[in-house]
Amino acid sequence: MAVVSLKDLTKIYDRGHAPAADKVSLEIGDGEFMVLLGPSGCGKTTTLRMVAGLESITAGELSIDGAVMNAIPAKDRDIAMVFQSYALYPHMSVKNNLAFGLRRRSVSRSEIERRVVSVAETLELTPFLQRKPHALSGGQRQRVALGRAIVRDPKVFLFDEPLSNLDAALRVSTRSEIASLHRRLGATMIYVTHDQVEAMTLGTRICIMNGGRVMQVGSPLDVYHQPVNTFVAGFLGNPPMNLLPATVTDAPGGCTLAIGETRLEVPGTRMPAHSPGADLTFGIRPENVRLGEAPGAGFATLAGTVTQIEALGAETIITAGLPNVAAPLTARVAGDGGPGVGDRVGFAVDLGAAHVFGPDGRAVTQS
Amino acid sequence: MAALRKSILLLLLTGYTMFAAGPFVWVAMMSLRTTTEIHHDHFGFPDPAHWNKYPDAWFNSNYATYFANSTQIVVAAVILVTLIGAMAAHCLARYRFRLNRVIYFVLFSTIIFPPQITIISLFQILVQYGLYNSKIGLMLVYVAIQLPLTIYILESFFARIPSDLFDAARMDGYSDWEIFWKVAFPIALPAITTTVILNFILLWNEFLFAVVLITEEANRTLPLGIQRFIGDTQEDIGMIATGLMIAIIPVIVIYAFFSEKLIQGMTAGAVK
Ligand SMILES: Nc1ncnc2c1ncn2[C@@H]1O[C@H](COP(=O)(O)OP(=O)(O)OP(=O)(O)O)[C@@H](O)[C@H]1O
Ligand SMILES: [Mg+2]
Repeated sequence: MAVVSLKDLTKIYDRGHAPAADKVSLEIGDGEFMVLLGPSGCGKTTTLRMVAGLESITAGELSIDGAVMNAIPAKDRDIAMVFQSYALYPHMSVKNNLAFGLRRRSVSRSEIERRVVSVAETLELTPFLQRKPHALSGGQRQRVALGRAIVRDPKVFLFDEPLSNLDAALRVSTRSEIASLHRRLGATMIYVTHDQVEAMTLGTRICIMNGGRVMQVGSPLDVYHQPVNTFVAGFLGNPPMNLLPATVTDAPGGCTLAIGETRLEVPGTRMPAHSPGADLTFGIRPENVRLGEAPGAGFATLAGTVTQIEALGAETIITAGLPNVAAPLTARVAGDGGPGVGDRVGFAVDLGAAHVFGPDGRAVTQS
Repeated sequence: MAALRKSILLLLLTGYTMFAAGPFVWVAMMSLRTTTEIHHDHFGFPDPAHWNKYPDAWFNSNYATYFANSTQIVVAAVILVTLIGAMAAHCLARYRFRLNRVIYFVLFSTIIFPPQITIISLFQILVQYGLYNSKIGLMLVYVAIQLPLTIYILESFFARIPSDLFDAARMDGYSDWEIFWKVAFPIALPAITTTVILNFILLWNEFLFAVVLITEEANRTLPLGIQRFIGDTQEDIGMIATGLMIAIIPVIVIYAFFSEKLIQGMTAGAVK
């Protein structure tokens, strides 16, 4: 049982500098897998280290199971952490690396032995128990780092980009290993990454951060389908959502948008009335853009000139420039073939999947 | 081609070895000859070898005492320098506190003062504290003079230990004190061994501070013992050579045992 709750958690490293974590509020339920996702330098590691007790908390409150943890030292929080660099003790054998954390916790010798052996078993580390970390491969080191956390049987697991030093294939297999670990242990886990795929596949919920602030918290699909602002919209998805500058025209009802020379009527359910002349952002995911003219109501046509084609086999990413629009339009269409660079083509935009963001970048979409 | 290269290299190495080892071999030979023999022929072979000069120096010229004094003072000083130096280096490398770099710089800057400058004030201080002419006094001075270099060497090594290791140990439930002993110290062992050997050799041969701060026969160290054979008008070259050999042997033994570790420590930065 472990509910981790962050209330306005703030970290200022150097006085006068902008906070590295700015009023981060987050409630992580028991057994939940929370992913902290965001670009480099957004304060993910800082937040995690405050939870771990490795970094002092400038302001705000951290509690675990209702008990305030701000002043409790790391060793008494019953939290285990897996570091990006693995941080294995180079002078100790794998076995001692695994046992090191238990020796300080009044666990009997035989119990330590039993736990180490069983964890080594599950992580297939048994043949390496007597080796030093430098004699292990990257993947094996990673598993030792995982094992060191598991063997402690802590209330909360913290991971700081544990997969970023692995090659692509190993990353996929270790990812599923972590997922099954979470299912098996049912422990509360907080996982920092800047890899969207890891976040989408592992997370029960995702917390997207930027500039030290929490942008949005929600299930992976919620966050993907209902981004609350342009940052989240532009951060998630590969390629990310198209964000086109748009102006409200003075049509009745005020839900007609002008994007360059095109006018389109966003259904009222997607966009509440706005005063004419307001500068908004029109967002549409590449998979909601098709080639060709609008097939009917609920679609609009944007015409543009193809500037780039990326054929990926199963799908093709088409980038086009729209006349008098500052941002390009990206479409993701099935199969290969289609137009070539320089062709002038029409794109059918599914207005039912459109997002509209206000002048402040916040979503005004009603969903 | 390869054979030629190898033989040239071998030739060069042989030449260098002779150049470096020559004086040592010379002293070793003289240590087995009497002063009269040496005056006759400076470079002669020890024929017959006067092995009895060693027990003679050891028992009759008080070398047993000098040897014991040197051992006590140097071993104690090296242990203290290593412990204090390692802790200070760890602290300077790992903890962020005000004046950290200032302290580091002040410590290190003492290296630039030649010992002649400090020796008069040191003499005064030792006299005032009743430590003049005592083994403890000399030992403390040795600790003080070797500390800056030791901290300097160790600090750069400790600074290279990734801080994640300390964080991991903290998460594993260890206090800062335990982390120093169980994580930092063992990892820094190659560098620490280097400073141990360096300090041992330097202090074992130290003469200047010893000659100024020790006058009593019972507290003399080995380098001072050699001085005994240098009279006002005459030098007993033969016994000086014997005394030198007795003094050098522990250094050679230590070096032979630890040279591999020493090289490891010196190149530890280069490899990683
Ligand atoms: N010890 C420190 N002292 C001062 N500033 C720091 C310190 N650690 C981090 N910062 C600053 O705090 C901000 C957030 O850093 P943090 O390491 O939390 O980012 P991150 O989200 O983990 O990034 P990444 O994905 O690159 O790991 C950065 O601007 C960074 O420069
Ligand atoms: Mg980070």
